[in-house]
Amino acid sequence: MKSVFLLQWQRFRRAPVMMLSFLVMTIIFVALLAGNNPAERSAILTYADASLSAPEAEDWVASLNEAGEFKFQLMDENEVREAVAAGDAPLALRLMEGNYRIVLAADDMSRFVLEAFLNRKYREELRFQQVEQQTAGSDIRTEVAALMEEPPLQIVTATLDGKEEFRYDNQLQLLFGMTLFFSVYTIMFSLMKIVEEKKYGTWDRLILSPVGKWEIYLGHLAYSFTIGYFQIVLIFVLFKYVFNFDVGDRFGAILLIIACYTFAIVALSMLVMSLVSRPQQLQAVVPIIATGMAMIGGAFWPIELVNSNMLLAISKILPITYGLDALKGVAIYDRSWQELSEPISILLLYGVVCMGIGINLMERRNY
Amino acid sequence: MLETEELKKVFKGKTAVEGASLYLDKGESVGLLGPNGAGKSTTISMISTLLKPTSGDVRLNGKSVIKNPSEMRRVLGVVPQEIALYGELTAYENLKFFGRIYGLSGKALETAIQRSLELVGLMERQKEIVKTYSGGMKRRVNIAAAMMHEPEVIIMDEPTVGIDPQSRSHILEMVRQLNQEKGLTVLYTSHYMEEVERLCDRVYIMDHGKIIASGTKEELKSILSSEETVWIELDRPYPEFFKELQSFEMIKQATETEKGIKLILPKGSRVLGKVFQASERHQVQIINVNVQTPSLEDVFLHLTGRKLRD
Ligand SMILES: Nc1ncnc2c1ncn2[C@@H]1O[C@H](COP(=O)(O)OP(=O)(O)OP(=O)(O)O)[C@@H](O)[C@H]1O
Ligand SMILES: [Mg+2]
Repeated sequence: MKSVFLLQWQRFRRAPVMMLSFLVMTIIFVALLAGNNPAERSAILTYADASLSAPEAEDWVASLNEAGEFKFQLMDENEVREAVAAGDAPLALRLMEGNYRIVLAADDMSRFVLEAFLNRKYREELRFQQVEQQTAGSDIRTEVAALMEEPPLQIVTATLDGKEEFRYDNQLQLLFGMTLFFSVYTIMFSLMKIVEEKKYGTWDRLILSPVGKWEIYLGHLAYSFTIGYFQIVLIFVLFKYVFNFDVGDRFGAILLIIACYTFAIVALSMLVMSLVSRPQQLQAVVPIIATGMAMIGGAFWPIELVNSNMLLAISKILPITYGLDALKGVAIYDRSWQELSEPISILLLYGVVCMGIGINLMERRNY
Repeated sequence: MLETEELKKVFKGKTAVEGASLYLDKGESVGLLGPNGAGKSTTISMISTLLKPTSGDVRLNGKSVIKNPSEMRRVLGVVPQEIALYGELTAYENLKFFGRIYGLSGKALETAIQRSLELVGLMERQKEIVKTYSGGMKRRVNIAAAMMHEPEVIIMDEPTVGIDPQSRSHILEMVRQLNQEKGLTVLYTSHYMEEVERLCDRVYIMDHGKIIASGTKEELKSILSSEETVWIELDRPYPEFFKELQSFEMIKQATETEKGIKLILPKGSRVLGKVFQASERHQVQIINVNVQTPSLEDVFLHLTGRKLRD
């Protein structure tokens, strides 16, 4: 096993460019995009169209600003449009009667967060208005506000998977999402060496030697795991200590989660290798898997913003979903070990199952 | 020492090899000859325990190796048809790795590397990256890698495909030496007749997954020895002369070719004298006469009705 493992490193040193490019790309993407943290971002330029009167518009903006998640600044329509056109603001908000539009200069990830926020606020407001119309005269708003101060029923939500209120941290979303996304490439392409060995016949040389078959597999799997693991750890260390990202105080827990995630992806790669037996096909398949998994699993935008039940259901079978969940659980929500044990054990189980099926399929293919 | 019995391999309903029985005695050099797709590589994979036969058996010194391949793997060196090397490493590094997985280390490993490199004549260029080698050099390293653990039997699957004449003759000479001087048992696969004729004592001829003929070179050629081919080269066509030859009882077949006439005669017939007398009568100018003995190529042509290579 050792010689097979070491051989992969020797080969890596001769042709490191592709593997290192995934590391470099992660760093570039996170470093460039993490600048746009909505918390630190300038106010969102807002204007009202003709359907709203000036006082109404002011009321709306005040009510939106109340939540404190975003800062909205009411301005003249022309000024807003100029600012967006000039690229000074990536997006702007247009208020209408009972509705809104987001004006986009370029697609921007924070749009999803803004949209989710506005959706929530508008639905709430419209419901109030409906109630007010039907129960004319009564001041439902103050009543609700008063009730909220002293609720007749206190419901404390403590779900098993610890779904606290969604907190969006753009830096960490990017860091975790991009890192886990690009690590899929590194791991899959490094394990692709198995498929190449089978194609070029060096696998047969290994089989004919006294080295056991499980040692050959283990050598490759260990290499793939190590290179994937170190890529993720290196990036996290870099952004924690050099870029000062706040990943919480539990770096040990993060290291453990990365290990479980890497294991699950290595196992998934094994399964993919057993199904796709040609290197050229894999060149096409790996990006599809990596990107698809990242999109659905919440690596590009927070999964909390996804509404489609089908996509959410699919995300439940993707290891990246659990990896991100566990990482955010530690870094953002500071969840307990008990709460973290669910995504972690799912990752491990996932790994064991994929590995078992993958190796079996690959072995069966031989005869 | 090595024998197969009725080897058969079916791939997804397609029979690649059927009823292949062959044997190798210690120190023998045996050729396995056949056109593309004949099933040579498949047979070799089964012999070298890389592929499980659908049915049949492979035995080493009387013991089946299908259930227990380790003994076979120990004595066997396999040179695959493809270049099975790590292209981004040097020849030296490749051999080092293939020696390591056979448990060699330290001085023994170094000695084995240099011995193998010397064998294939690549001592000077061992530190170069394999990817940058010529086809012939890659083939040589491919052979050297199979020699690292000093096998007793070496199986070579078309080791000279697509390489320069110099590398080719080097490889052929090397195989001859291994067999005749070092006493290695050789199974040599090829679709080049000349190579097999030059290197091998005995030959198996395969076509469409079956062994269609086997024996020593002489035995195989005697299949055709009842006939011989005579080429008569002429300065120009002589239709009258040709007509007369066609009427000869003893001549099995006469064909007019571009440069002259081709005759197929029963072996030992004395008809040539009469042919010359006829040529006198027609005042034919004969430029050259060539009596041809059969080659393995002719044997193959005779057995299958096809040429070995197109
Ligand atoms: N893994 C496989 N799956 C399906 N069919 C196969 C497989 N390997 C070989 N075959 C088929 O079996 C037949 C024999 O192939 P084989 O490679 O043994 O021929 P060969 O004599 O070595 O030919 P060549 O001179 O081209 O190397 C071919 O028709 C080939 O298509
Ligand atoms: Mg072949």
